[in-house]
Amino acid sequence: MRAVNPEAEGTRYPDVEFFVDPVRVAAFRRIFDQADGVPPTFLTVAEFDVFPGVIADPAVGLDFSKVLHGGQEYELLRPVREGETLTVRARIDSIRIRAGTGFLAIAMDMFDEDGAPVARTRSTMIERAAT
Amino acid sequence: MTRRLDDVAVGEELPELRRVVTREDVKAYADASGDQNLLHQSDAFARGVGLDGVIAHGMFTMAHLAACVGAWAGNPAAISAMSAQFRATVSVGQEIVAGGRIRAVDPEARTASLELWVSSDRDGATEWPIKRSEATVRLS
Repeated sequence: MRAVNPEAEGTRYPDVEFFVDPVRVAAFRRIFDQADGVPPTFLTVAEFDVFPGVIADPAVGLDFSKVLHGGQEYELLRPVREGETLTVRARIDSIRIRAGTGFLAIAMDMFDEDGAPVARTRSTMIERAAT
Repeated sequence: MTRRLDDVAVGEELPELRRVVTREDVKAYADASGDQNLLHQSDAFARGVGLDGVIAHGMFTMAHLAACVGAWAGNPAAISAMSAQFRATVSVGQEIVAGGRIRAVDPEARTASLELWVSSDRDGATEWPIKRSEATVRLS
């Protein structure tokens, strides 16, 4: 049986480039009736460029069919700009198991083309206990 | 225009933002975000894991809350920090109500700290898909 492996805590993943595509930002804004600006929650689009690598990582052993999104944090050092390309650096920040339920926190640091930090995100995934 | 420091008072509440979540909304969010988890698209799959049917992404509810803050702030990009824990699922057809309150203002940094929430009525009982969420907003 697969279950998230606490020994994978601290794993770092190769950098991924993320283009802040104005078309995609506009599609995102349209759903939430916003006129302009990049909403902070748009950064989750960048997270989804990285998650497949984490989910497929056999060392992590996550069973994605049992995963719920438990929580989300964003910190923006400056507003994200449409059309820029960010470098996304991901790591597994923590893995805890409580009563058979796994809690996996993935942290990402995002940098701009000059290497300056732009944003940090942290997502907590909950892997429900096998029934 | 980003909200001005002089126009913010501790204790003030943000105007509520309501929306009934539709299946089309959830699909549009899946396409825009890249989160194509079947929990948010297939009733059969959702029932297979013990839910009543398709649920909205936690991030859909958080993005709705961010829209509430962005509308108040004058610009979604004025939000410099935001965090939330997802405490209750939101089913298609459910109405969600985003709200918040100014907890503190920092005149030096020109920021406001907000406490935020999303409530929803389910069969006459109030649920809190998001409660005690926090955000920081840059003021002009």
